[in-house]
Amino acid sequence: MWRGLWTLVARAARGPRRPYTRQGSGAPAPSSGATVFALSSGQGRCGIAVIRTSGPASGQALRSLTAPRDLPPARKACLRLLSDPRSGEPLDRALVLWFPGPQSFTGEDCAEFHVHGGPAVVSGVLQALGSVPGLRPAEAGEFTRRAFAHGKLSLTEVEGLADLIHAETEAQRRQALRQLDGELNHLCRGWAETLTKALAHVEAYIDFGEDDNLEEGVLDQADSEVRELEVALGAHLRDARRGQRLRSGAHAVVVGPPNAGKSSLVNLLSRKPVSIVSPEPGTTRDVLETPVDLAGFPVLLSDTAGLREGVGPVEQEGVRRAQKRLEQADLILAVLDASDLASPSSCNFLDTVVIPAGAGSPNGSNQRLLLVLNKSDLLPAGGPDPSPDLPPHLLLSCLTGDGLDGLLEALRKELAALCGDPSTDPPLLTRARHQHHLQGCLDALGHYKQAKDLALAAEALRVARGHLTRITGGGGAEEILDIIFRDFCVGK
Amino acid sequence: MFSFRGCGRWVAASLTKQHHPSSRFSGDSAAPWTPHFDVVVIGGGHAGTEAAAAAARCGSRTLLLTHRVDTIGQMSCNPSFGGIGKGHLMREVDALDGLCSRICDQSGVHYKVLNRRKGPAVWGLRAQIDRKLYKQNMQKEILNTPLLTVREGAVEDLILTEPEPEHTGKYRVSGVVLGDGSTVYAESVVLTTGTFLRGMIVIGLEMHPAGRLGDQPSIGLAQTLEKLGFVVGRLKTGTPPRIAKESINFSILNKQTPDNPSIPFSFINETVWIKPEDQLPCYLTHTNPQVDEIVLENLHLNCHVKESTRGPRYCPSIESKVLRFPNRLHQVWLEPEGMDSDLIYPQGLSVTLPADLQEKMITCIRGLEKAKMIQPGYGVQYDYLDPRQITPSLETHLVQRLFFAGQINGTTGYEEAAAQGVIAGINASLRVRHKPPFVISRTEGYIGVLIDDLTTLGTSEPYRMFTSRAEFRLSLRPDNADSRLTFRGYKEAGCVSQQRYERATWMKSSLEEGISVLKSIEFPSSKWKNLIPEASISIGRSLPLRALDVLKYEEVDTELLAKAVPEPLKKYTKCRELAERLKIEATYESVLFHQQQEIKEVQRDEALQLPKDLDYLTLRDVSLSCEVREKLHFSRPQTIGAASRIPGVTPAAIINLLRFVKSTQQRQAALDSLPKTDQHLCNTDKLEDRQL
Repeated sequence: MWRGLWTLVARAARGPRRPYTRQGSGAPAPSSGATVFALSSGQGRCGIAVIRTSGPASGQALRSLTAPRDLPPARKACLRLLSDPRSGEPLDRALVLWFPGPQSFTGEDCAEFHVHGGPAVVSGVLQALGSVPGLRPAEAGEFTRRAFAHGKLSLTEVEGLADLIHAETEAQRRQALRQLDGELNHLCRGWAETLTKALAHVEAYIDFGEDDNLEEGVLDQADSEVRELEVALGAHLRDARRGQRLRSGAHAVVVGPPNAGKSSLVNLLSRKPVSIVSPEPGTTRDVLETPVDLAGFPVLLSDTAGLREGVGPVEQEGVRRAQKRLEQADLILAVLDASDLASPSSCNFLDTVVIPAGAGSPNGSNQRLLLVLNKSDLLPAGGPDPSPDLPPHLLLSCLTGDGLDGLLEALRKELAALCGDPSTDPPLLTRARHQHHLQGCLDALGHYKQAKDLALAAEALRVARGHLTRITGGGGAEEILDIIFRDFCVGK
Repeated sequence: MFSFRGCGRWVAASLTKQHHPSSRFSGDSAAPWTPHFDVVVIGGGHAGTEAAAAAARCGSRTLLLTHRVDTIGQMSCNPSFGGIGKGHLMREVDALDGLCSRICDQSGVHYKVLNRRKGPAVWGLRAQIDRKLYKQNMQKEILNTPLLTVREGAVEDLILTEPEPEHTGKYRVSGVVLGDGSTVYAESVVLTTGTFLRGMIVIGLEMHPAGRLGDQPSIGLAQTLEKLGFVVGRLKTGTPPRIAKESINFSILNKQTPDNPSIPFSFINETVWIKPEDQLPCYLTHTNPQVDEIVLENLHLNCHVKESTRGPRYCPSIESKVLRFPNRLHQVWLEPEGMDSDLIYPQGLSVTLPADLQEKMITCIRGLEKAKMIQPGYGVQYDYLDPRQITPSLETHLVQRLFFAGQINGTTGYEEAAAQGVIAGINASLRVRHKPPFVISRTEGYIGVLIDDLTTLGTSEPYRMFTSRAEFRLSLRPDNADSRLTFRGYKEAGCVSQQRYERATWMKSSLEEGISVLKSIEFPSSKWKNLIPEASISIGRSLPLRALDVLKYEEVDTELLAKAVPEPLKKYTKCRELAERLKIEATYESVLFHQQQEIKEVQRDEALQLPKDLDYLTLRDVSLSCEVREKLHFSRPQTIGAASRIPGVTPAAIINLLRFVKSTQQRQAALDSLPKTDQHLCNTDKLEDRQL
């Protein structure tokens, strides 16, 4: 009876605006029948990456990727050559394991691929799995949920699951923000809008067409919109390989009031002059990104404009960008001037950024924050802690390098927790999911064109929209009715 | 027939044996003659008649209380039933042996199925109905229903007692007080007062209290409900003027003829009462810029339009059409009101201007140049009760055994009212007999979609059914309402006649047999092409085709297929309905397979019941935010599935609720394994309660 769990959690996760969502038969709604796959070894630098599948098609997936094509003995590691089932192109020599249900982590049939950890290999195997019929990328935490559904977790563990799901929904939201920032986001939203409108017009034609005077050509217009959408989606999917830059690693952002020494810290951590440093407040205007290796973990470090109000338009834009980056970050490095803690800008920063984020501990949104007090060299030597009332913090002098070891150790701990957390979706998988849903959408649009029965055609559009709204959110039935009543004068 | 002290007119009683009510009150000397019923239904509209008849069909001694017996079955607005989405509801009401579909098959004057070209899942059965015939036939049906008594009287108040401890709710209803001060006791009460709660009729700048033109509103009852703590909202609706038939120049207008043959609404009817050639036509005309002008120039004389009360977006008055979509021609359908009626109903011309301006507006429309207005259009504003205060069985959370159905819950339309009426009547009766409630899930029917939307989301405008509201639209079709609901109605509610049950059983087994035969016949596509040259079968396919796949082609129907393969298919063409339903099943077969999977998922969530007596505001074992607690407290979802559909209830909250349900179930299981003596104790407690 617990197998429907995912559906309802997913439904609730889709947000407050949708009372109930139609997820079409094309399978965007994860059902117990679907088989899911995910990279389950986190995204830190590693020699071996573990890719897992769960669901009835696991055996099929194992057979189609490996040679020889027979299933290995249950729960025994075997060396196999992995190749892409579509092209036959070899991918890797890997250890594979086969766990027939119910004696597996999730209680379903499971398979594990232990592949060499490079991004190319991992990406290749994920794409190969995505091409096996019946397989789709897992939603965040779906493995745990399936385990729960099959009674593999005790009641106490379930208590933790609620927190996990909360954290994951947040992590996923941040991930989506990041991944969908810019062009792809813009595209997806545009497509979803077009599709919703086309669906609304088809629905209007069904619910009102007959003896209401809907304008002529409502269906023709929907048809041509769907055709255009199909072309755009097809082009995007063919193009996707080179379109997106993948940004691996944890996203760390350095924030603080102006002239706290953020840029100095970035330069210190990256061991190169990434940012221009000057004693003048407001030197950094834009977000500067640099990929760095911190304590063995890949990190994308961002320097941002100092947070303050009432400055020129260029700097205001910098502040806006800094705040946006702050929302998307996994790890916040909050920098304050240790000699200037009582100033209004410092206090304001503490109240608005540090305290809400809960320094030193993961807060509700699972963001982590380290509070760094820079310019410790300006404090009287050997004096008492300048700020016993502050949340946990580290003292540092970017000038002398004093306190750097302590900071690196703290960073190592935070990053280990972040990158080792399998719930953080690696960008590879996020991209695989986008492609899965875009492809699903495209397939459904094909069904729309073929359908002679208008109810079937509308169903295909509902499925297509279901796929897109899995990426963009939204998608309730009320939205459709709103468009109908906005666009048409219907009813008597 | 009974005679009671100082009471109104008793119109009819059941023809079957009467249980004398006083025998149940032998120890109660204070009111030896007070009547006592199992179920009392207040209101004789579309919800009330269905509720009363359903309760009686379920075996409860039922009383229908109405202002006037001669208004029972009155169609107070449009002279039509059905339509897209609404026709679906009527088929479902019929599948539960409800009245309106059968009455419509005896009272229509123009039968037409809408959406014929758009796929059988969205066909909309619809008919123009003769108002007088409908009322006559409905009254005949109601006055001859066994176990059902009808009485005239206005209900002024509810009689409340202590709540039953094993159910939630602050009070329990045990009867009603009438306008003349007399009382009627009841085990369950169904309230179907329509627009009568503080109803207000508006024409131009004039407003006067009325539930319907010519009828008094219920004010005492509205006050009682508000005092009890029910959250009340206000809605508005309207109706067009009526025009004298002989004053219209039909010869210059577009004529719409009815279907031939007519498709009946009810599963148990093969045909309707009237031949297509004897039916009446409808006519189409349009508004024009002059109409816009009159509306726009006189907005200051039109207080209904200015009011902030929410009206329906999909049943707009001509004023709101002109305001929202200016410079367009709007359709006006001229619909007959009945066989011998000299009135025409101008559908689409709902208006609240002062009467003289309405007349002026009408005469500038093509075909209506010399039209005589017999009755002006008017607006109605009325109270409704936030439907999140009722359960999916339509019983209120606040008052035990009190049920609401129809417009009182914020819906609009005869069909929506009838659908709720059946469910309320069934549940009022089941409640009396201590049986579990009869709830239709949104995976099972439009009735389920309607009630789930209302009880979990509430509504801020009069709620109307659309097919786009149903996520499982391809499964919830007009053709298969019987296989979805008749068996449940028969077994769980007892509201379905033996005859209907047997018919549904025969149809179901014939369909299943037919589908499996169609699946078993396989030929290469080239052979099919030879057999049925009309079909656009591509010969290139290597796999053999099943007969079921061939039946999917638009141009193939069961007849054509049976001509190609007479054995064993010939027998499936003998029943028109069976042949048509096989074709429909084939059309949707591939999609329905997927949809069934999804439906199962949703049903699993629906099976996870939340305890009814949860106090979400103080519940300590569950970690929930204040916001979520308040939402759950107000809507009181009955299942985890319903909880997950409430906006703002987070996934984490759902998991926490699940954990709670599971541990509660474990405790319950432990309790159930206790010795039986405990159960006996509970029963005696109940008995003592009653004797007190």
